[in-house]
Amino acid sequence: MRDVAIVGCGMTKFGRREEDLLELLSEASLAAMKDAEMDQGSVDAIYVANMGAGILNHQTGVASALVDRLSLLPAPADTVENGPASGASAIKNAFLAIASGLYDLVLVAGGEKMRAVTGWEVTDFVASMTHRQGEYIYGVTLPALAGMFARLHMAKYGVKPEHLAMVALKNHENGVRNPYAHIQQAVTMEGILHRPEAVVNNPYIAEPLRMFDCCPVSDGAAAVVLCAAERAKDFPHTVVRMAGFGQATDTHAVHQREDPLDLKAVRGAAQAAFKMAGLKPKDIHVAELHDAFTILEIVESEQAGFFGVGEGHLALEKGVTRLDGKLPINPSGGLKARGHPVGATGVAQVVELVWQLRGQAEGRQVPDAANGFCCNFGGFGNNVLAFVLSRE
Amino acid sequence: MKSVKGYQCKECGRVFYPERKICLGCGGRQFKKIALGKEGVLLTFTKLHALPMDFESRTLMLGIVEFAHGLRALGQLSTDDVEMGMKMRARWDVVRELDGVQLYGLRFYPAKR
Repeated sequence: MRDVAIVGCGMTKFGRREEDLLELLSEASLAAMKDAEMDQGSVDAIYVANMGAGILNHQTGVASALVDRLSLLPAPADTVENGPASGASAIKNAFLAIASGLYDLVLVAGGEKMRAVTGWEVTDFVASMTHRQGEYIYGVTLPALAGMFARLHMAKYGVKPEHLAMVALKNHENGVRNPYAHIQQAVTMEGILHRPEAVVNNPYIAEPLRMFDCCPVSDGAAAVVLCAAERAKDFPHTVVRMAGFGQATDTHAVHQREDPLDLKAVRGAAQAAFKMAGLKPKDIHVAELHDAFTILEIVESEQAGFFGVGEGHLALEKGVTRLDGKLPINPSGGLKARGHPVGATGVAQVVELVWQLRGQAEGRQVPDAANGFCCNFGGFGNNVLAFVLSRE
Repeated sequence: MKSVKGYQCKECGRVFYPERKICLGCGGRQFKKIALGKEGVLLTFTKLHALPMDFESRTLMLGIVEFAHGLRALGQLSTDDVEMGMKMRARWDVVRELDGVQLYGLRFYPAKR
């Protein structure tokens, strides 16, 4: 198996965008190709991550459309769908193809145009990945699953609404420093939790989770260029290697898990990624976790091995995961503030890590970060991917 | 009224809901339907305020109930006056209308009222 490096990255600003999906994917792809200082003739293949253009935008065959728009013809092109983990799955496909020796240089673009439909429709669209007979028919949504999970976790480990709000506060604070973030506004504990007007500013979505416990619905795209590590020094930037990859699945219906609080797929994906990289959680300097809900950042930080089970909220309380802490989590603002265009998120996590490891994350740079970790969480933890990235 | 059924693996006895084609425990492929039991315990719940399309109510109560054999099922709750650990009784009822079709599923009621 050959080593694989990331030699180009780019993204669009996330948020409510006027442009259509193809325009967003093109903007991110062109930014990544420009970053790699390459011409389009050298692209061997493209993978496009998208969860639901067929439902949201009346558009299917997204990779075929993008490869044409960018005149990368006749490069092979595939669309990859793995729910909100589509981005990491597309990168995985590129990684495997290069590692196998089949391709040398691959473009991966992930994007979603979610604000094209109403909030009711987008909620139903995301909910359609839940178990059909066991969950979806009841009106279950992703916030509903997260709410039930949060209630159990909070009761077992003494996690308070203030802990959840600390994730939001931290990630919004980081988002202010990220020009690509959907929401660039800091919030206060008083404003979202303690003042009387908090019930209006921060209403319940799925009790005990409130609006500021949930990521926004975003449009946006992100792209990376991957290449065989042996050729990586031909490109202009500090070489960042894909040191480790892991993926694991779990039961589709959350209630079928032996312990519904145990996110086994997060642990499995993280352990596999660390094993391949030959690194341990303590070797990581910066992490991007899938905080679609504040509770998830806390639990993923435990299952990835950074903190003990039931101790994630204590690390948060001590400021360990702040930008100036020992292990900054979600310096980008995470899904919470950067936003969550579902197909783009897994790619955007890798883009942020590459910027951090190159020392290019202006305004939110984690000093001297050499190893990064990210986790892209599909379904409610039923299909999870993790990467470890290392600076050469 | 249709009763609620779990699927028990004929090889190892493990019970699942919803059904699986292959047993998660032993790989067995033969299952028999068994009754869920009359009462279960409310493991966790949420009051949902942001509903997907096609629901007319402003909020929706959802919960996971644990029955005998450790078997669990998710369903709608009849009331928001609930707490964790409460005993619930299951009924089979229309839970959603989708594309003009009425879908049946579980609705949980407090066992004693």
